[in-house]
Amino acid sequence: MILIDRLCYFSRLRYVNAGEKTAFSVLTLLACILSRSAMIGLFVLAATGVLTVHKGGIPLARYIKLLAAPGAFLLLGTSAILINVSRTPLDAFALPAGPYYITGSFEGLMQGQRLLLTALASVSCLYFLALSTPMTDILAVLKKLHVPALVLELMLLIYRFIFVMLSLASDITVSQHARLGNFSLASSRKSFVAMVSSVFILSIRRSGEIFDALESRCYDGTLRVLPEDHPAKLSEIVGIAAFELLLYLAVIFLKQSGGAR
Amino acid sequence: MKRPENYGKDPDILLEADNLTYTYEGESIPALNGLSLTIKRGKKIACMGANGSGKSTFFLCCNGIHRPSSGTLYLNGRPFGYTKRELLSLRRRVGIVFQDPDRQLFSASVRQEISFGPLNLGFSEEETLKRVTAVMEKLGITAFAHKPVHALSGGQKKLVSIADILVMEPELMILDEPAAALDPFYTETVYRIIEDITAQGVTVMTATHDVNYAYRWADEVILFDEGRILRQDKPVRLFSDDRLLAKVHLAPPMLLTLFRQLKSKGLIKENAPAPRSIRELNRCLAPTVSQNAPEA
Repeated sequence: MILIDRLCYFSRLRYVNAGEKTAFSVLTLLACILSRSAMIGLFVLAATGVLTVHKGGIPLARYIKLLAAPGAFLLLGTSAILINVSRTPLDAFALPAGPYYITGSFEGLMQGQRLLLTALASVSCLYFLALSTPMTDILAVLKKLHVPALVLELMLLIYRFIFVMLSLASDITVSQHARLGNFSLASSRKSFVAMVSSVFILSIRRSGEIFDALESRCYDGTLRVLPEDHPAKLSEIVGIAAFELLLYLAVIFLKQSGGAR
Repeated sequence: MKRPENYGKDPDILLEADNLTYTYEGESIPALNGLSLTIKRGKKIACMGANGSGKSTFFLCCNGIHRPSSGTLYLNGRPFGYTKRELLSLRRRVGIVFQDPDRQLFSASVRQEISFGPLNLGFSEEETLKRVTAVMEKLGITAFAHKPVHALSGGQKKLVSIADILVMEPELMILDEPAAALDPFYTETVYRIIEDITAQGVTVMTATHDVNYAYRWADEVILFDEGRILRQDKPVRLFSDDRLLAKVHLAPPMLLTLFRQLKSKGLIKENAPAPRSIRELNRCLAPTVSQNAPEA
């Protein structure tokens, strides 16, 4: 989370209009979900990968590591579809284990592969957005989409205070370690609980102080700030539109040819 | 309490506090306990006193965050009002830079953060952008305007929190321990900014524990003690009062001590005023000393 936040500020795509990036990310994500096709998944994975790594300048190794986290989850999830335990062997593979077989069908394999690729591709769409667009820009897009101001203000404050609270928590943890607070399992458990409770109390106090500070700058219930706006470029819009058009044509074609493979 | 006819009519007086009391909820000891003072327009004022002596509480009263339980505050001769409109006009005139930037900055974007005040005052987005850009230029923070607030250093956050208030162009700017937790570079930067602000005629009130800074910078020093004003005076006079300083556990400024010791040894010119800087001290050395100085 913190890593993604740091990376997105260095992305070369940061100053591309946030609306464009959001549209691209969401439309492509929808295409993945609608098609449920391994081919579309592979294609999207490649496209977002090129955009994030090549265009955005996010280091490839970092990107792969970031994808590996949800990837591992997906592998575990799909393994339930891929692998069966039954008395009768299925057509793809079968490993005898006593009276049972650890076995799988071609049907299952195809389904698992489809699921894995589309899910991973969907994640990569969101990563594209997260790794190129700072939170404040995303908030600006949501505002244009008429998301209620209250929700947006909460998001803004929560986002800012994640960092304040994290640094509080880490300061307290460091000072506990300096006094051997993690000496044994029992003491580190105790320290952790103490840290969490004091961060909670401090955060309540903080919220009061921030409210005073906001009030002293004439806060009246609405957080009014300048919009973060980077002008949209026609060439980019045309590019995104062309890409999505092709993608959706491919999705429709695959659906009609029945296979959706 | 009955006040004289011309009370609050002196055009030189910007802010006046009359017998303020304030007690925080759930506390038995009042934070302000009959505090009265006057702040003259255009002055540089250093507020000193131990932690918990009422400085910060008084500051929060100055722009209507806290409403004193009794007593009255006057701005430009008019008593504070606490309706929405009056508070708006009060807070545009009296700005507070809080001690810890992390307790003031709410936005993740520097530009959005600074734009908050002017937009609340009702300026258009174009006008706000113009003001925000100008202030960032003036404080030299344009370079990190596009960084997220949580990636800034402590000193950079401090500058942003000053810009927050400066952009609202207050008549009275209050800085609560502006140099707290800053490195020497940012301390000097902040002090220079404060100097610039006062040069433009803005009245500045700071809380500080640095006697040397208060001595060289301030026109007036106000000593807070247990929610009251112990003394409000010119720095030279106040810091020469050893008994008073001992009472509030303050050491006298180094320069003043040196000056007084030199004077007691007859090394200072007759009637020379107490110096506020090393250069001024040099000028008040007796001729014999000045001549001997290079060899010494």
